[in-house]
Amino acid sequence: MDGVSFAVAPGEIVGVIGPNGSGKTTLFNAILGQIRPTSGHMEFCGEDITGMSPLELARRGVGRTFQTLQVFGKLSVRDNLIVAAQEFKGTLPSRLFAPPDAGLGKHADEMIELFRLQPVAHLPAGSLSYGQQKLIDIAMAFMPKPRLVLLDEPCAGVNPALVEQLRELLMTLNKTQGGSFVVIEHNMDFIMRLCPRVICMVEGRVLAEGRPDEVQLNRAVLEAYLGN
Amino acid sequence: MRKVEVTIVGAALIAIALAPLGLKNYGIYLLTLWCVYVMAGMGLNLTVGYAGQMSIGHAAFVGIGAYTAAILMKLGWSFWLVLPAAALLCFAVGLVLGFPALRVQHHYLAFATLGFNVLMFLFFRNEEWLTGGTFGISGIPRPPLFDRSGAYFYFTYGSTLVLALALAWIIRSPWGRAFAALRDNPIRAESLGVNIMAYTLLAFAIGAAFAGIAGAYFASLVEFIEPAPFSLTSSLMMLLMVIVGGSGRFFGPMLGAAIVVLLPEWLRVMKDWYLVMFGLAVVALMIWLPGGLLSIPERLRRA
Repeated sequence: MDGVSFAVAPGEIVGVIGPNGSGKTTLFNAILGQIRPTSGHMEFCGEDITGMSPLELARRGVGRTFQTLQVFGKLSVRDNLIVAAQEFKGTLPSRLFAPPDAGLGKHADEMIELFRLQPVAHLPAGSLSYGQQKLIDIAMAFMPKPRLVLLDEPCAGVNPALVEQLRELLMTLNKTQGGSFVVIEHNMDFIMRLCPRVICMVEGRVLAEGRPDEVQLNRAVLEAYLGN
Repeated sequence: MRKVEVTIVGAALIAIALAPLGLKNYGIYLLTLWCVYVMAGMGLNLTVGYAGQMSIGHAAFVGIGAYTAAILMKLGWSFWLVLPAAALLCFAVGLVLGFPALRVQHHYLAFATLGFNVLMFLFFRNEEWLTGGTFGISGIPRPPLFDRSGAYFYFTYGSTLVLALALAWIIRSPWGRAFAALRDNPIRAESLGVNIMAYTLLAFAIGAAFAGIAGAYFASLVEFIEPAPFSLTSSLMMLLMVIVGGSGRFFGPMLGAAIVVLLPEWLRVMKDWYLVMFGLAVVALMIWLPGGLLSIPERLRRA
């Protein structure tokens, strides 16, 4: 990456597009401390978070999803959701004596209802279909009510009906939880309808930035990425 | 637990409690030994089965617990003081052994724990001034009131149940869910605020503490200890107990310990062939039932 600089306002949804190898996931990995940039820095709510570990970032309210499915296969759907938020409640010793659901059962059930996962709530997550696991994966990221969520290709491998459900869910969560989202996605229709602002990256640089319709019509973007 | 499971567990608990009434001294000794292995196996199941950390050095912790108990009791300490001392020492050593797990996983971690077992075995064998070396330590007392084999069995059995309840508490608590998250997907777990370092170390330390307690009971059971029961072979047998019963299943070590402790005894009628039969049975089990014996009901439901 070279000279990439942008800000995300509270509650804003920003899309990041670009061809494969353009540096989108590297951008996420740099923000999330998995690689350390050779120069430059990242700030979150006025605090320098450059090089912080994923654990430190999670504690500050930065959540993420991954390109590939990342659920806890042997745990039930409900337990997947509870474990996603339990570490933010109390101290490590106090959690040994907390109720089994860590006081998060009601919140988990609400999320299960929102994501329409009630029929499979008590089944092991690993036994479910790809689409259902994708929903769990995304629901987990929102369980701790993060202030910033980085979503890496939420629509990858998802059928069109589920893509629309995902878009509606993200819009709902953005309204109810009020967090900021940064979304990497190749599905142009999804990103244009979800994100009021889009950043297009090519070869590690920001090529264009603005409203989806502006970026879509940008000649350099058309040449580098959208093609036709 | 479902009603049928409660019934089976209740019946098994009563049957085990009544078993000494129909057994001679050697049978009671084997049953007590089973309890000791269940204690150690439950700890290993937490480390390996629930938290997903590989360990083939568990016998070393049983050894540390046994030698701590033996040495302190020979110095006149009460069993009731020796027990927490053995557990705490193993907890502390377990914490230290957990550190390699923060850097390496799977077979690399297996070799790190293997190295630890070899190191401790050499320590038990060579540091004669403390451990008695190959001559061991004899005349280890049992706690007063429990010095007869039947009484010592019920004492050990009761303690095993208390430890089982403690383990059930841990697994049902948010800690148990965090251990499972660590096992299933540590990268995702960390991104959700699960402190991987703390839970990895705790998984080793708690598992080691269980082994330390088992060691203290073992020392009083056999009344004489020497390095052989704490060798790498014993660690492999303990891992076998967990896997044969069902790794990550609560009752896995109970069943696994019964197979590993009692099956060779039952197969003794085969004389020289018994170890061959035992080995073949284990190989067959690993091929057809990699989830352990407790996975049979699930397999039947799916069939």
